[in-house]
Amino acid sequence: MTAPMIRFGLAAVLGLFFSACGSSALFQANVLKDVDNDFDFSVWRASPNAVPGRKVQLGGRIIQAEPSNGGVVIVGEQLPIVEHPAYGPSSSGRKRTGVYEFAFLYPGKIESTALTAGNRFIVVGTTQQAKVVSVEGASKTEPYLVAQCVHIWKTEGREISDFPEVGAGYYPLEENTYCATGK
Amino acid sequence: MMRLRITTGYAGAVTAVIVSLFTNFSLAGELSKDPGRPLPSTVVVQAVGPPAPVRVAQAAGAPSSRALPPSAGSSDAAQGGIAVEDLLLQKGTITMDDWIRIKGEEEYKQADREKRSDLLEEWKSKVEKLPILTDKVNFGLNALQYLYTHQNAHVAEGKSQDNISIRRSEFLFWGKISENLPRWHALYEFQSINLSNSTPTGNSSTAAGTATAATFFRETYIDYRPVLAWAPNLNYIRMGIFRMPFGIFTETSGGLRDIISSPYLTSVGSGGARDTWNGVAPKNGTNGAIDFIHERDFFIDARGRIGNRLEYAVGLMNNNNYQANATGANAPKSFYSRTRFLATDVSWVSFTVIAGETNNANSNINGRGKGNFDRYGIDFRYTSKLLPGLMLQGEYWQGHDGANQTTVGTPANGACATQSVCGGDGAPGVQRRTWYVYGKYLFTDGLLENFEPILMYEQFDPNTTVGNDLYQRTIVGLTYYFENMPPKIQSKVQINYEFRHHSGNGPGFVPDPTKGVGDPFAQNMLLVQWQIRYM
Repeated sequence: MTAPMIRFGLAAVLGLFFSACGSSALFQANVLKDVDNDFDFSVWRASPNAVPGRKVQLGGRIIQAEPSNGGVVIVGEQLPIVEHPAYGPSSSGRKRTGVYEFAFLYPGKIESTALTAGNRFIVVGTTQQAKVVSVEGASKTEPYLVAQCVHIWKTEGREISDFPEVGAGYYPLEENTYCATGK
Repeated sequence: MMRLRITTGYAGAVTAVIVSLFTNFSLAGELSKDPGRPLPSTVVVQAVGPPAPVRVAQAAGAPSSRALPPSAGSSDAAQGGIAVEDLLLQKGTITMDDWIRIKGEEEYKQADREKRSDLLEEWKSKVEKLPILTDKVNFGLNALQYLYTHQNAHVAEGKSQDNISIRRSEFLFWGKISENLPRWHALYEFQSINLSNSTPTGNSSTAAGTATAATFFRETYIDYRPVLAWAPNLNYIRMGIFRMPFGIFTETSGGLRDIISSPYLTSVGSGGARDTWNGVAPKNGTNGAIDFIHERDFFIDARGRIGNRLEYAVGLMNNNNYQANATGANAPKSFYSRTRFLATDVSWVSFTVIAGETNNANSNINGRGKGNFDRYGIDFRYTSKLLPGLMLQGEYWQGHDGANQTTVGTPANGACATQSVCGGDGAPGVQRRTWYVYGKYLFTDGLLENFEPILMYEQFDPNTTVGNDLYQRTIVGLTYYFENMPPKIQSKVQINYEFRHHSGNGPGFVPDPTKGVGDPFAQNMLLVQWQIRYM
């Protein structure tokens, strides 16, 4: 075996080692503390004022995002969070019926490219009273929560698992976690 | 006649309603000034019975307001939950016959609406199943590029140094069949260069005829995911023709590249006949076109991601470019692997190894010889999160080509049949080396919003044991984005100026430095390119 091959073999082993160390969660443990893992979205959707003050984690797809006082109000479609083929909200499962919209306020700044319609997100926040929001010109009363942290994948409508092999080449999927100050 | 009667009936009814409503609204308006004043019983016009708006008296035989059907079908004027025709009937404005006729019309209309609604639902369910709407078949414009170039290099008589071409006209088709067949992919290139005017009448299995590889066939592959639960660790097995996972540039789509020219690692040197000096070709492997890292090939590999921080691809390729069907797809195979360590989601360092054997017979890749073949590469990309818009990227490659390297279309089978073309029989194997680095910054606001300056430098050393053979290039560029939402949309205009320098093809083989004469890799070049990408 030649010296370059040995060097590259070592590099690969080191890469594996670092990858094992570098496995990262989307949110810190304190953010996920007290999250209601048994939260039923459909029940909340049907009775949005029934369970205020509950800490939840929801995945979804951005429908629209509008700046609001001190933050941004995001209207999203709730999607199930899957482990495979890639961790995150996915719409590739069986067809669903019904309405899955909800809204949340992120009390901070998010760059505009992260707020493109179709981007996937996971939000951790606390449920509030339902709120009337304007969705594509129509006023709707949506289940509402205030976000503590939100993680956004810039998928622009595609599945997370479509990346990085997308559009006739390699294109890495950009993703970021945003946490409100002091949260 | 029937229509006339109905119309007359409706006109009378509407007139009566307007008069009665006007009377009611006038009274109500007056009464509203004094909320404490009791509503007189005369407000509700009635024949007999108590003055209650929800329990009006009625003509004998007429349906009571409770017995009336829901007013949904009576859309003309449903005031206070009572249909107009019911009100008119109660007021005695219309007869029972009229009432029945109006109701019949409404029921007919309602049935018609329901029928239309059912039809729409039926079509909706059909349309929803269309492949184009279920992600099974998609269509996109990968890149449409109009290119202008100007170079002071020598051109043949009758040709211009101002060159206009369609650099790329690529249409992309792809889809997802299921979780186990997550992607099929086909890309066709309809560019105006490299067109062939001959009809293919032969191929690898035909003894005679014209073997032609049409240029519109570029990529096609199938992804197979054996077990969903294994993904993303073993995400899929890919088989077909595609951009090879060699470094960064090779795998970047033509519609997302930051500079107009391909880097020298992809291709460098004069194409066609290899360079000669006074009829003498250097036998050092430095001359002619060299495709050090080819972009596409026939392959099968496995790809995945481990721990969200390591991506890998490991596979086997035919190693004779994507046109191999024209000359025979069964070239000696080569192994390859790439491991990419992701420091963040968009910054990484990766290592690539390619190893195997090549044969210069029927080669579709310039600069390949007969014998052992290998490539070792390291690449990096830094996409700044501290200074959004800043990106740095670089690649370093080194590798060996076997003896008697040849150019595409040159007869060879180990030995070199035409020494002035092949570089000479007995030309030794060579160790080659190349690297590049570039940086760019995208302005996202202010006067320079959507402008992106870029600076790149690269070197290519075709033979590391020989001096005076170095290719060097510095590219200064500016891009303006009309639309920039990669990877889906990218419409832009790019201006690049290339400062080129070529030391020569070894001692004694120095290119003529006179402008307009000799080696184009020693002459500066201006390039302007317009692009649309939408998918």
